[in-house]
Amino acid sequence: MNETTETVFVVEDDEAVRDSLELLLKSSDKGVMTYPSANVFLEDYSDDMAGCIVLDIRMPGMDGMELQRRLNEKNSILPIIFVTGHGDVPMAVDAMKQGAVDFIQKPYREEDLLKKIEEALEQDREQRKTLGQKQEITRRIGMLTPRETEIMDRMIAGQANKVIAIELDISQRTVEIHRSRVMHKMGTHSLAHLVRMVMSVKDRIDAS
Amino acid sequence: MTEIASERDEATILLVDDNAQNLKVLYETLKDRGYRLLIANEGEKALALAERHQPEVVLLDIMMPGMDGYEVCQRLKANPITADGAVVFLSALDDVDAKVKGFSLGGADYISKPFQAQEVIVRVATHARVIQLERELQARNRQLENDQTRILNAISEGIYGLDTEGQIIFANPAAVAMVGLASEELVGRNFFQLHFGTPDAETDDLPALSTCREGVAEHQREVRMRRSDGSVFPAEYRSSPKLEDGQVLGAVVVFRDISSELESEKALDEARDTVATQRDQLAHASRLSTMGEMAAGFAHEVNQPLTAISNYVRVALRMVAADEIDRQLARSTLEKIEAQSHRASEIIRRIRSFVKKPATGKEVITVAALLEETRQFAEVDARTNQVAVELDVSAAVPDVLADPIQVQQVALNLIRNALEATRSAKSTEPVHVAARLVNRDFVRVEVTDSGIGLPENAEEKLFHPFFTTKQEGMGIGLALCRSLMHAQGGEIGFDRPHGGGALFYFTLPVAQVTAGQPQETIQ
Repeated sequence: MNETTETVFVVEDDEAVRDSLELLLKSSDKGVMTYPSANVFLEDYSDDMAGCIVLDIRMPGMDGMELQRRLNEKNSILPIIFVTGHGDVPMAVDAMKQGAVDFIQKPYREEDLLKKIEEALEQDREQRKTLGQKQEITRRIGMLTPRETEIMDRMIAGQANKVIAIELDISQRTVEIHRSRVMHKMGTHSLAHLVRMVMSVKDRIDAS
Repeated sequence: MTEIASERDEATILLVDDNAQNLKVLYETLKDRGYRLLIANEGEKALALAERHQPEVVLLDIMMPGMDGYEVCQRLKANPITADGAVVFLSALDDVDAKVKGFSLGGADYISKPFQAQEVIVRVATHARVIQLERELQARNRQLENDQTRILNAISEGIYGLDTEGQIIFANPAAVAMVGLASEELVGRNFFQLHFGTPDAETDDLPALSTCREGVAEHQREVRMRRSDGSVFPAEYRSSPKLEDGQVLGAVVVFRDISSELESEKALDEARDTVATQRDQLAHASRLSTMGEMAAGFAHEVNQPLTAISNYVRVALRMVAADEIDRQLARSTLEKIEAQSHRASEIIRRIRSFVKKPATGKEVITVAALLEETRQFAEVDARTNQVAVELDVSAAVPDVLADPIQVQQVALNLIRNALEATRSAKSTEPVHVAARLVNRDFVRVEVTDSGIGLPENAEEKLFHPFFTTKQEGMGIGLALCRSLMHAQGGEIGFDRPHGGGALFYFTLPVAQVTAGQPQETIQ
């Protein structure tokens, strides 16, 4: 699937609801893929999918909540809009705690649904953008030599060049050369920006 | 002077002779033969002894001073107490006249003097035996008569003996009491006139008339019989002919007043009606409560077509707003809208028909259609429990006669239980609903689940009210189902399938279609 194609993934067991939703979204110029069950969607799922999921919370077999759990296990970041029936609000609340973007009750007004879908798509784009930046930062951090990484960590911790030189038992001049290479490789001129960048992927670095 | 010479229950022989020598000879001849021997030497004494001891045989000398043997015999025969004994005359008069006279006075036999011992012994033995047998027979007849009378008197039914004209020739005390006339007043009255106020000549259809005339047995209930005071009581009677050699001699009519019986029956009918009404009310209440449990599911179910409709309408509006209308797409979209609105109204129709009051009464039902509707109805629960329902109705299943609402209620109850049991056991096997013909008269519907099965003591408890295995169950469901099935003339029960789980079944009577019977089938 092309990464730039945003798709609304509709997972709904009721054929009429599924069909009508597909027509409706197509007529609003949205890319649509429909799935009659959670299982079918899971089989089709890949982590380069972009867009959002419109998911019926009550389905025979695997229900919406279960699908959400499975997607979370796969570290999916696709925003989920739960579609609930009458009296499913408690379920919807649980779903939100599990990270759903939003929920909407059947029967809904088209404007409401489209608005929620729009917001979900926007969120997805944001996430993807952020995710892209983080991947770039991580890539650049990966290009640093061990010595450069050591120097960068001390820079971020706020140590002056003089202190770094003394602690590592190298000349201040050498520290400056390393320092300019780090800045160059990380593509920034400002220490503050460098700090922000590294902090944004800190957990990833810790994890690895 | 008397002498008792032997056992009490042996025959008693009275020897009567004025001649002591004769008496001695007779005594010697008959002693040690197991008789009780009594002796009298003159008539008066003989009569007194006979009255006290009722001898089977009297050996009576004819020629005696004072009262002679003929007179003794006459007086013995005249007294009912002594009349049945056998009198054997003893006489030297061996002439025919004397014998004839003796026989004409009721004598049984005659022995000429001088006696031959053997002759005396044999004749006495014969007569003693004959009289004993006669007495036994009479005693038995009396006993029987007493028994019959006692029975007739004790019987609470009225009993009449009628002749061929319907004249009453016998009436038992119960008849007397019921009619309000004395027995002697009843006998001789005409049965038809007395009890039905119609002489039998007027009509052919009076009770017991054909029995009296043609010997045809009759039995009727709730005929109205008159009492002597003109009041009327409802009666049941049986009349049987009295026949002799194929001739009808009359009839025996056995009848009883059934006023209180009719009242009891009426009370029983009323009680039955009340029970039936209450059962229907309970069934209805239970349907409502089922609907209450299913309400959320129904709302969800109705929301599906409504959601689809509103989506399709939006699509249609967009098309209308566009410059070029794709007619083909517009048409198919509108058709989809129509289909979904039918779907919604169908769900609502099902709910309404299920809760509508009261039960509609028995109809001819197509089993497959009813079960399919029930299955759709249970879809709500199927979704909730995430267990499917599979339907398997044999093509050979004929229509049944039952109340469709109540049958559906039972089926739905069993299916919902099955879905719940399956889910509780964390199974995803579908619930299986099958219908087949078990014999000529019954269709059997089976609901099989793959739950944990039924407890050991299920037989005793399962269908009892207030027994439940569910946390929130009332225990009314199955008890009510059983009562509803009985009302349909069917049965309900369960089995434990080999593969585990539980199987519940109910049976419904096949509709016997007769020509010209209006056929209402559920489509």
